[in-house]
Amino acid sequence: MIFIKNLTKKYGKVTALNNVNFNFKDSEITAIMGENGAGKSTLLNICAGILTYDEGEIQIDGYDIVKNSIQARQNIGFLPEMPDLYDRLTGREFLFYIASLRKIENAKKIIENLTNLIGIDKSLDFELGGYSKGMKQKISIISAMMHNPNNLLLDEPVYGLDPLTSRTIQEYIKKIKGTTVIATHSTQLVENIADQVYIIMKGKVLLKDNVKDLISKHGSVEQAYFHIKDENNV
Amino acid sequence: MFETTKIVLINTKRSLFKKIEEAPFLYFFFLIMMLGSIFLFAFVTFFLTYSEFEVSINEIFLGLFSIFTIKAIVDFYNNYTKSLPLSYSLSTQTNQTKIAFEIFLAVLITQLTVWFSLSLFYIFSLSIFRINLWYPVEYLQFTLGIICTVLLGTTIAVYFFSSKKYRLMPTIILLTFFFYSQNYLYIVYISPLIVLHFIWAIRHSISSYLYVKRKERLKGKYETKIRNKISAIANKEIIILYRENLIFSFILTAVTTGLFTGYLFLNGTEILIPDSLKDTVADILPSSLLLLGVYVIVFYTAVFPSLALFLNEDKTLWIIRNLPVKNETFVFGKAKALILCFITTIPFIAYVSIFIGMDDILYLFWFLVFSYLAGVIIAFPLGVKYVGRKSDILLLYTVAIILLAVLGFGSIFGRFVGDNFELPIIFYFLIIMFEMFILYLSLKASSKILALKY
Repeated sequence: MIFIKNLTKKYGKVTALNNVNFNFKDSEITAIMGENGAGKSTLLNICAGILTYDEGEIQIDGYDIVKNSIQARQNIGFLPEMPDLYDRLTGREFLFYIASLRKIENAKKIIENLTNLIGIDKSLDFELGGYSKGMKQKISIISAMMHNPNNLLLDEPVYGLDPLTSRTIQEYIKKIKGTTVIATHSTQLVENIADQVYIIMKGKVLLKDNVKDLISKHGSVEQAYFHIKDENNV
Repeated sequence: MFETTKIVLINTKRSLFKKIEEAPFLYFFFLIMMLGSIFLFAFVTFFLTYSEFEVSINEIFLGLFSIFTIKAIVDFYNNYTKSLPLSYSLSTQTNQTKIAFEIFLAVLITQLTVWFSLSLFYIFSLSIFRINLWYPVEYLQFTLGIICTVLLGTTIAVYFFSSKKYRLMPTIILLTFFFYSQNYLYIVYISPLIVLHFIWAIRHSISSYLYVKRKERLKGKYETKIRNKISAIANKEIIILYRENLIFSFILTAVTTGLFTGYLFLNGTEILIPDSLKDTVADILPSSLLLLGVYVIVFYTAVFPSLALFLNEDKTLWIIRNLPVKNETFVFGKAKALILCFITTIPFIAYVSIFIGMDDILYLFWFLVFSYLAGVIIAFPLGVKYVGRKSDILLLYTVAIILLAVLGFGSIFGRFVGDNFELPIIFYFLIIMFEMFILYLSLKASSKILALKY
C-alpha cells in the first residue's frame, strides 16, 4: 500500500507536483496518465526513494520513505523510464548483484524463471552496454520484480518491448497481488490491465476514477483523457 | 557548420558552471589552489633565476606535454568514445568522420583555452617578480606542442579503445624517440607525421566508438553467486575495473615507475642536477625521488579509482537510491574494491628494491601504505561530493596538491622515526592504525555527503 499526502515537489521555480494526494491500495493496479512533464515520473521517482520532495508525507506499507527509508525501499520494485544500467556488467552479473543487495534467497531459480518468461535468457551473458533499449527494459523489469515486492512502481513498462513480451508482462502484472502503480501514455495498456486511473496535469490531479466506469462514461480511456483535458482547459 | 563542436563546448561550459553553482566555495578553493600554485611556480622561477640554476626548457616542456596529452586522451574518450548522446549525431546524414573531427576541435579549443589562460597568468606572475620573459618563438613552439598533444591524445584514444591496438605503434615509436631525444623541438619537427597519423586515426574513429559498445562474455566464465552486500558492491567494482583494463594498467605503471624511480635514485643526481648544486641537493634528491615515485603510483591507483568509483555512477544513481542499502554500505563496498588496487602497487616496491637494496624496505612499504591510505582519505569525500559528474582538471589538481603536501609531511616524519627510534616498526604500525581510524571517519563522512545528494 502506498499512501501519499499533500505532496509538493519543485524543480527550482517549476512546481512538478502541487499538493497532491494518492492512496494506492493493495491488489489494485493504478495507472497514472498525463502529458509529458505532468509529474508522473517525478511521482514514481519520489515513491521509489530516488528523488526528495519539498513538502508532504509518503508511506510505503506504513513505513515513511524518508524516516524509514530502508524498510520502505525493501518493499518496492521500481522500473524507471530510462533504465541506465552498468554497461560493463553482463545481464546475469547485474541481476545477481541486485539479488545480493536485496538478499534474495533462491535467486538463481528466480532469475532463471523470470529470464525465461520474459525471453532474455539467451542474451544474459552479454555486457549490458551492448543491449538494445528493449533488452535493457527486460533486465530492469526482472530486477524490479525478482524480490516479489509488495509495491511495484513501473514507468512505461511495455515501452520498447516486442508484442509477445509486452503481453507476457501485462499478464504477469495482472497476477501480482500487491500494489502496482504504472505511469504511462498508453491508453491501451490502461484499458488492458488497470483498475484505477489518475489523470494529472501540471502537477495537479484532475481525475481519479475506476477504469471500467470511465470507459462506460466516455467510451474509451482515450476519449476520457481528451474530455478531461478540454474540460480543464489544459 | 561545426554544430557538434559548438554543442560539446556549450555542454562543457554549462557543466562547469553548474558545478560551480552547486559548490561555489569548493570551486573557489580549487581556483585559488590552482592560481596559487602557478604563482608559487613563478616564485620558484624567480628564486632559481637568482640562484643561477639553469632551468631546462626541455623538462618544462616534457612536464606540460605529458599533462596535456593525458587530458586530451581523457577529453576525447569522454566526449566521443564513451559518449552515449553522440549516437544521435552519428545517425544523421553528416559524415561520421566529420563529427569525430568536430569533437577533436572542441577538445583542441578547450585545451588551448586552458593553456593560454594558465600560461598568461604565469607570465603575469613573473612580471610581479620583475622577471622579463621574452621568448616569443619558444612560446609559439610550446603552443604548437600543446596542439600536438591533442592530435596525439585523439590518436591514442581512438586506437587504444579499438580492436586494432597495433595501430598505435607509429605514435608509440614517435613518442619513444621524443622521450629519448629529450628535445622539445623534436615534437615541432615531427608534427607533420603526427598530423598524418591523426588523420588516419580520425578516419577509423567510428570503429573505436562501436568497439566499446558491444562485447560478449562467455557463459559461466564469471561467478554468479549471492554475496553479502559489501562484497557484492566490491565485486561489481572489481569486475568493472578489470574490464576497463585498469588492473593491468595499474600493475604496468607500478612496474615501470618502480624501475624508473630506482634508476633515478641511483643516478638522478648525476643526470638531473648541475655540478654547482650537486653538493646542496645530493642528500635530499634520492628520498625526494622515492616520494615522487610513490606519489605517482598512489595518484594513479588510489586517487584516480577512488574518484572514478563515484564520478562514473552518472545515470546509474537510481540503482543505488532504489535499493534497500545504506549509503554507508555502498561507500564501504566501494572502498573494499580498492584493496585489489593497492595490491597492484606492490610490484613498485619489488622493482625499486632492485636498485635501492633491501635496507629501506620497511620504510618504503610503510610509506606506500601510508600514502595509499592518505590518497583514499582525501579522494573519497571529494568523489562522493561530485557523484555522477565528470571529473575536471580543477578537482584533480586540488587533490594532487593536497596529496603532495601530505606525502611530503609523511615522508619527513617517517624518516625521522626511522632515524631516531630503535623499533620504528611500532611507530609505523601506530601511524597506520591512526590513519585507518581517519580513513574510517573519511568513509563515514562520505556516507553522510552521499546521503545529502539528490
